[in-house]
Amino acid sequence: MADSISRTIRDGALEGEHAPSLTIKDTTASPYGFDVFTHVLSQASSLILAGKSQSRGLVVVAYSRSPSFYLDFLKRSGVDVASSQKWIHILDCYTDPLGWKHQLADSGILPSNSSAGACLFQDVKDINKLQSLILELGSGLVGQGKVRFSVAIDSVTEMLRHVPLSKVAALISDLRSHDQISSIFWLLHSDIHDVRVTTSLEYLSAMVASVESLNQSSDGLSGDLGNLSLLEQNFRRGKFHVRFKRRNGRVRVMNEQFHMEESGIKFTSVTVEDGLVSQGLVPKVLFNLELSEKEKLERARVVLPFEHQGNGKHIQIYDGRRSLAPESMGEVSADTSQSNTEECSNGGGEIIYFRDSDDERPDSDEDPDDDLDI
Amino acid sequence: MAATKTRTSSFSRNLPAASSAQSPEIKCGPNGTFFVSSGIPDLDKTLGGGIPLGSLVMVMEDSEAPHHMLLLRNFMSQGLVHKQPLLYASPSKDPRGFLGTLPSPSSPKDDKSRSHDAEQEKGLRIAWQYKKYFDNKQDFSNEFDLRRPLDRHFYTTQHVDCISTHDLPNLAPLQERCTSFLSHFPRSDSNIVCTGRIAIQSLCAPQCENSSMEWEMLSFIRALKSTVRSANAVAIITFPSSLVSPSFCKRWQHLADCLVSVKAIPDEDKELAKLLTGYQDIVGFLNIHKVSRINTQVPAVLEATTLSIKLQKRRYLVLECLNQAPIDGSGGTSYGTSGSCSGSSSKSGSLNF
Repeated sequence: MADSISRTIRDGALEGEHAPSLTIKDTTASPYGFDVFTHVLSQASSLILAGKSQSRGLVVVAYSRSPSFYLDFLKRSGVDVASSQKWIHILDCYTDPLGWKHQLADSGILPSNSSAGACLFQDVKDINKLQSLILELGSGLVGQGKVRFSVAIDSVTEMLRHVPLSKVAALISDLRSHDQISSIFWLLHSDIHDVRVTTSLEYLSAMVASVESLNQSSDGLSGDLGNLSLLEQNFRRGKFHVRFKRRNGRVRVMNEQFHMEESGIKFTSVTVEDGLVSQGLVPKVLFNLELSEKEKLERARVVLPFEHQGNGKHIQIYDGRRSLAPESMGEVSADTSQSNTEECSNGGGEIIYFRDSDDERPDSDEDPDDDLDI
Repeated sequence: MAATKTRTSSFSRNLPAASSAQSPEIKCGPNGTFFVSSGIPDLDKTLGGGIPLGSLVMVMEDSEAPHHMLLLRNFMSQGLVHKQPLLYASPSKDPRGFLGTLPSPSSPKDDKSRSHDAEQEKGLRIAWQYKKYFDNKQDFSNEFDLRRPLDRHFYTTQHVDCISTHDLPNLAPLQERCTSFLSHFPRSDSNIVCTGRIAIQSLCAPQCENSSMEWEMLSFIRALKSTVRSANAVAIITFPSSLVSPSFCKRWQHLADCLVSVKAIPDEDKELAKLLTGYQDIVGFLNIHKVSRINTQVPAVLEATTLSIKLQKRRYLVLECLNQAPIDGSGGTSYGTSGSCSGSSSKSGSLNF
């Protein structure tokens, strides 16, 4: 649930533990990861401003949107940006990530324009510089003491264009174990990367939120074109699936639905039972100790080999050793056929009963089943 | 312990009597092997007495749960309590800090729930000649209290070496350190003087530069395995199996002498709660895929390969067979009272009176 995510980010890190980290991942089938990211960002910002969260500042590393976009967005979401200098710093890796504009400005081709407020970062390939800059900006916001701040990385996908995975993973794990970081969250477009990238980042995160489309077709193009309006409607909705790693080592799985509106993304809870998880974990049981309904009915119908069935009738059980004399044959066969048909009509369950000894005549005085006659 | 050494065949090696009456940290096993404790008594029992000297244990981590740390902590603490030198490698920048989180052996008076034997003994007097078996069993493997950290003198006074794999450009330095560490424990026919333990945490962690060098890591593991086999030492390596490509994951699994994997379980899952009793206490599952078989061709048939990891009172690590309907005839009840005794598993001769 989106609220649980905000709460975990609000609670932040405990002493001696890694800071909680969140991966938001999406695919082209349901490309609303950025909306989730901005949603989490606005929630975190409002909590910071209200003083309710452990972190007192926020550093946004912006790769895919300009800093002014973020400030505008926060303003639209009702977060007070007038005092933004005190609690938020946006590291601008969007305007000039590789320093090309700067070089062109130096050689006089482009007019240079001063960066507006946000800190311009022009060397995205140097991950150490980025890390130290993040830490510098953060401690600039909250001071040097025990106060913590949060970090939001706009898009790790963009970061991975310039820097190999091991360096990004090292950056994230260093930030997580830093004393002053309260929480860290980032966005990833998982279908662009290898599986290894996604699993590595999930390994480093305490929460994984994935944005999935409602219809599970692998190829978003193949659909029922006749139902285009329904497709379009469904495109604006999706499933929001979150896995939390809890401290005791268990994983909490939560599912929600979301839909996109003009004002942003809205989450609604969904009640879907998911019984598939447990099947893979627990070893398969060979015995089936439970009876299904059908089996219970069958069991109730089987005629047991007692001659006194308790209903006044006396039935003959074919015990397999009677000589079939012609006149009794009709009788016996009639009986057996009767009992057979009876049993067949009862579902085909049959018990073949052979007496232990031929000497024993049926209904003898020592018949132990006599006392069962109720 | 010399009297209880099980001779499974008349061809077993005639060990010098002195070696068997030595330090409690080593137990004699069948076929001329010696066991050291893994730090978890339940796991020792399941593996047939402990971890044989010279074997490489590999633990497949689950990226969603830190249960492999529980295994590592108990393993390292057991080694330190028995004064066995330890080499620890981890991807964090300060591996020494981890030593402060190792658990301390639980003192018997805290251990009320596990030693209800104490109460039973009030009515039942154990005959004197059997007392030494109980005492020895205590020393070989300890119960660890995860809430109490290990006394500092255990790791400051003795030979504890820590390496960080974070900044290593390749695995050559790690391999050199392991080889030089293991050269202190050569194997010879004379008495075992001391044994060493190597613990490598998260070998393929993504934050290490060397994590993409899969062939190098494979040859490192191969070299380590052969060096450990010819030394009086045990090595344990944990690795996140989902981060290694599938073909290499298979190769690594084949290299292990003893292979276990840990798995996280979903929280508040009604299906699992119905299937398992005691679901509230379980934090994860431990699967045993392979058991070390050194000096023998006879395969080990385990009673149960899936154990549940429980933290009793959040302090003691307990591994139990799953309490569910019978699976392949293996025990559905907890280990101590299992009725189906397949004889191969009780190698060390558990004492059932």
